[in-house]
Amino acid sequence: MKEMWEDAMLEAFHETSRRLGLFLPKLLALITFLVLGVVVGWLVKMLLMRVLSAVRFDAFCERMGLMPALARAGVVQPASSLIGRLGFWTVFLVFTLMGIDALSLPATANLMGVLLEFLPNLLASAFLLLCGILLGNFLGEAALIAAVNAQIQEARLIAHFVRWGLYLFTGAMVLTQLGIAKEIVVAAFCIMFGGIVLALAIAVGLGGRNIARDKLERRLHRRRTEEDELTHI
Amino acid sequence: MMASQERVDAPWQQIRAQLPQFERADIVVGFPSFNNAETVKPVIEAVLAGLRQVCPDASVLLVNQDAGSQDGTPELVKGAVEGRMSVALLHRAARTATGMESRLSGAWPSGREEAFHSFLSATKESGATACAVIDPAVRSVTPDWMTWLLSPIMESRAEYVAPVFLRPRYEGSLTNMLVYPLNRALYGSAMRYHAGGGCGMSGRLADFYLAQRFWDERAVRSTMDICLTTVAIAEDRSLCEAGLGEKLIQSPAGGDDVSSVVAQTVGAVFYFMERYQDVWEHRAQAQPVLHTGLSYRPQPDRGPINIDRMMRGFRQGLRDLLPIWEIILSPETLSGILPLALIEKDEFRFPPQLWAQTVYDFALAYHEKVLHREHLLKSLTPLYLGQMASLVLRTQEQKPEDVEVCIEELCDTFARMKPYLVERWRFS
Repeated sequence: MKEMWEDAMLEAFHETSRRLGLFLPKLLALITFLVLGVVVGWLVKMLLMRVLSAVRFDAFCERMGLMPALARAGVVQPASSLIGRLGFWTVFLVFTLMGIDALSLPATANLMGVLLEFLPNLLASAFLLLCGILLGNFLGEAALIAAVNAQIQEARLIAHFVRWGLYLFTGAMVLTQLGIAKEIVVAAFCIMFGGIVLALAIAVGLGGRNIARDKLERRLHRRRTEEDELTHI
Repeated sequence: MMASQERVDAPWQQIRAQLPQFERADIVVGFPSFNNAETVKPVIEAVLAGLRQVCPDASVLLVNQDAGSQDGTPELVKGAVEGRMSVALLHRAARTATGMESRLSGAWPSGREEAFHSFLSATKESGATACAVIDPAVRSVTPDWMTWLLSPIMESRAEYVAPVFLRPRYEGSLTNMLVYPLNRALYGSAMRYHAGGGCGMSGRLADFYLAQRFWDERAVRSTMDICLTTVAIAEDRSLCEAGLGEKLIQSPAGGDDVSSVVAQTVGAVFYFMERYQDVWEHRAQAQPVLHTGLSYRPQPDRGPINIDRMMRGFRQGLRDLLPIWEIILSPETLSGILPLALIEKDEFRFPPQLWAQTVYDFALAYHEKVLHREHLLKSLTPLYLGQMASLVLRTQEQKPEDVEVCIEELCDTFARMKPYLVERWRFS
């Protein structure tokens, strides 16, 4: 009885020791990966911020209207800092996943592979989103200034149309890139875009005939009367 | 450098191909034409008569650079000269013929900088002592123009001769209310910056211009007059203004997009502010410019002025462009502009000090690149319309000379407020 008890105890002890012996290096690997993730992430963040600051990226984003758009959404940090932080968390996430993979847990098997497979799509989507926002702001601003200088009373409405049209287009592209409800997004975008164009065509065709005629008449009339208008330089 | 040398050589090679016996000229006359069949003959006659007056024995080369006329202008130029002097006909290279650039000085076609470059190249290569550029679209060219444009150079009294025209009091208001006061405050020269029509320069200055790097700059394209005048002033060359009388254009440019004119003109001025920062920071009191020809005085209006349209433009700008102006203007400038929206038309005045501060804020914002530069420059248009409306409302019942008083007042204000600009520019 005593022997059996001793064997059971020893066996359990050896088994636990063996398992601990197998698990501890993996845990150590996880901790090492986490520490490395923090250090490398911090270095990447610093490097990104330095490079972006050297190429005056913040001023560029300000010029392109990205920062005012983010400020409206409550984000007040400079763009270089945001990208630096994004860099840190991306690196940290990659190292964390490597650490989790090192644990060889059945639940997290292939996690790294799946995520790495998805990463290019994620990066492409982020790039598309950034470009879409920048382009939307830039063209919206250009449309606003042009419409104001042409003394079109609906200048702000036109600018909103241009900006949100581009945001919509970008959103559809991003979702398609990510593969989220691809068919539904494409169909919804086509219906919405086609609907807007059709509505505009009908509105201009039916409701705007007289306005268009008046505008043309005024334009032709102005051409005649403005021959003596001031030159500015 | 190689490309630049090739660019200088190319027009001269074309000239030599057309005139193989031609070696050197004393004077080069540049003729940048575009569909000027109607006016080219009388202009050539006036130029020839003028050249007989000012330098009867000089060897003259007339270079016509045509921008693609459909009415046979180059052939008419050749026919009008009738062998009385050497003529070379150059055609504009197709690569730059976009037709998209706005015409800022009436009948000038786009690609004007290319034509000027060809004239200066011809001046350099032919060893000419002077070059005059005459706009064949101007119906009012007289023989005296050549005397007034070339005499100061031939007599070594000036290296650059800019035109001054007798024009209605509100004509050229962007020049009068922004370019002239700003550049006068910056560079200390009372040059009026009238554009187009004609100008003259010495061979030495032509060489200098050719060596500059502004020819390919988008900011100065279509604003060659401002560019050449500003460089001459900033480089401390001797200057002269020639009062040429009225400038009557073959087809007036009415209907040009104001915001494009503002963007191109003001963009050129701001471009040179960046380039000549070390010059204008240290220049102070404005010096008078040597004058020849007819005296300058503003003329009565040719037609009614549409003040309502200017006021509408200004008020809409205040309503819709405020978020953009908040980025460009300092808080104190903006707080001065906002109450103007509430003032009734008859009492509307844009104070000179506020206008000077506004222009300086735009120059600083351009320098700091706080916004895309074309957007920034175009967003100045409503403010310019407001300032123009204010000037017209203030002086429309007065004599034409009273507009000059207002412009002088503006110049003094710009000069007085220059420390505001210098201080902020240094720390930007």
